[in-house]
Amino acid sequence: MSSSSAPPATPITRSGIPLKPAYGPEDVPAGHRAVMGTLPGQAPFHRGCFPQGYRTKPWRIFQLSGFGKPEDENERIKFLLKHGETGFLMEHDRNTADHLYNVDHAEVEARREDVGLTGAVMQSVRDTAICLDGIPIETTYGHAGGAVVQHGPFALAAYWTVAKRRGIDLAQLGGTGQSDFFLTYLGCVTKQQIPTRAGLRLNADIIEFCGRHLPKWVPVSIAGYNGGDSGLNAWQELGAVMANAIEYLDEVKRRGNLDLTAAAYRVGGVNFRTTMEIFEDAAKLRAARKMWHHLLTTRYGITDERALRMRIHIVTAGSMMTYQQPFNNIVRGTLMALSAVLGGTQSLGVSGYDEAISIPSEHAHQMSVRIQQILQHECNLQNVADPLGGSYYVEAMTAELERRGWEFAAEIAAEGGFLAALDSGWLHAKARDNQVADMQSEEDGHRLVVGVNEFRDDATPYVVDGFPGVNDAYEVARARLEAVKRERHEQGALHALKDLERACRGSDNVMPAMMAALDAEVTLGEIGDVYRSVFGDWRTPEVVGT
Amino acid sequence: MSASPRILLVKTALDGHWRGLSVVARALRDGGFHVIMGGMLTGPDIVRTALDEDVDLVGLNVGGSVQVVERVVTDLRAARPELPVFAGGAISPSNCRRLAALGVETYPPGSSLEDIVAAARRLTGQAAPG
Repeated sequence: MSSSSAPPATPITRSGIPLKPAYGPEDVPAGHRAVMGTLPGQAPFHRGCFPQGYRTKPWRIFQLSGFGKPEDENERIKFLLKHGETGFLMEHDRNTADHLYNVDHAEVEARREDVGLTGAVMQSVRDTAICLDGIPIETTYGHAGGAVVQHGPFALAAYWTVAKRRGIDLAQLGGTGQSDFFLTYLGCVTKQQIPTRAGLRLNADIIEFCGRHLPKWVPVSIAGYNGGDSGLNAWQELGAVMANAIEYLDEVKRRGNLDLTAAAYRVGGVNFRTTMEIFEDAAKLRAARKMWHHLLTTRYGITDERALRMRIHIVTAGSMMTYQQPFNNIVRGTLMALSAVLGGTQSLGVSGYDEAISIPSEHAHQMSVRIQQILQHECNLQNVADPLGGSYYVEAMTAELERRGWEFAAEIAAEGGFLAALDSGWLHAKARDNQVADMQSEEDGHRLVVGVNEFRDDATPYVVDGFPGVNDAYEVARARLEAVKRERHEQGALHALKDLERACRGSDNVMPAMMAALDAEVTLGEIGDVYRSVFGDWRTPEVVGT
Repeated sequence: MSASPRILLVKTALDGHWRGLSVVARALRDGGFHVIMGGMLTGPDIVRTALDEDVDLVGLNVGGSVQVVERVVTDLRAARPELPVFAGGAISPSNCRRLAALGVETYPPGSSLEDIVAAARRLTGQAAPG
């Protein structure tokens, strides 16, 4: 591969923005210069949502977590909370959850040792109850899982049903769902998923349901992260997130069931990634808030300041974590976290130092929390909001990312919108081109990665072998599936499943029927069968190649 | 050489992350191989596809447990003992050793494309170009 590329003539960022040796006032375009003097907490909010920054509220320490049986995941969540995590995140087993299969599905049985590797198996509300056992969800911010669009309604309904059974008023419950289009249709295209149009309908159902019953819940969370780590660069990530938000808000507006300001507030909890490109990514967060303000005021005429403030969750890029010399990743995690904090994130998850090998070991998880605690308590980072504000370089970068971000959003619009750009594979091709170019620049040595293509001598006295997981997740899930089907009120369950199918086929909000189905102990795979018969299967774009 | 050697690339797990596989597939195509993307297949389906497509090499993209991979390799060996297999993806050092014991070369994250293409040439009996 040594033949192909010449090194760039001038230094560029990871997303291809040329860099000057130094920046001055003339590098900040006039339009942006006009708002440079605004303070944090003032529109257009590129300088942050709140006047006092982290003095008002420290960022939430919020790590992805989960594996094995629901009790294994429960134990890890408690471990993280004990060590200082300030919210918790439930991962579900990818084999079952993402595909809406029960463990007795042939595709899962063929890979039974994979079950529980990346999240606990939760096939009925009983499993979710075990996973949440002893965790005070009435006072702790939780992510219910449901990262994949088709799994969202199930994961949320399971979490909320557990809450209701504990006597918690849903109107008081805080937390978040995800139902992310980037993960489902771009980054991690599963073997089977419902078409994008059906996914949009489910997400709009969740947004409206929360609007009515769970005012403190973030119903869905657009995860630019999953676009970014699949290959989209910083400004493509920005443009695509805006294009995704447009689909949600246009749909809510078209349906007319929920006040648009309330909907915009709910959709404004967004997830991005930060990479080792520290200033570009910090600027990306600033640009994102400014773009959100622009989108809501100009396209939708929204004036409520609460809705105009985008809240951001950051996960540090897993793809930056190297397999070689894994302890270097503790440094990488710290720097990427710093970028997120400088950009003003509201919550943060730091990928584990063993990310390239497995899901985090207990120790890697603890280190991710410790990195955040060091940043919160030893660096005086929380006392001054938007410390990069006014830097000619960062302001110029913010403006440039914004400009390119809107250009990319316009390209997506020209493709027919975000859903169309996913259906056609247009967005995947953009990601693929960057994947190839990124790898090529590493291969050609234009970009050095310490321990990988340079500085390869390793004196680490330890072998990091990743997290082995547990070996009984499949058997236990199998036994529990049989038990729930044996012990539930069968007529009630079948009735609830029929009602859910009717809701899916019609145009009513599916969430009330989903809640009833979970309460009647209908299982994940049964709901998947309904989806498959009602919604059919999305055709994976050719470029994905899987 | 005559026709391009044929490589089947498959995912052993129900894990749709495609970035690594996509980059490797591109490098192999650029390296002169005919690449067949099998997608997420079960062990028996991998064997069937390898036979139907009459491939010269199988590349396993690993996003799950090593036991599943070992089963696939055993099935492939039973069906076509001479067919070489290599693997890439998030494979821990100890699992790399387990697969090496089965004669499967592994290319975890950070492996160079040049090395992967060279391995494909060697495993399919192609001479490296001058």
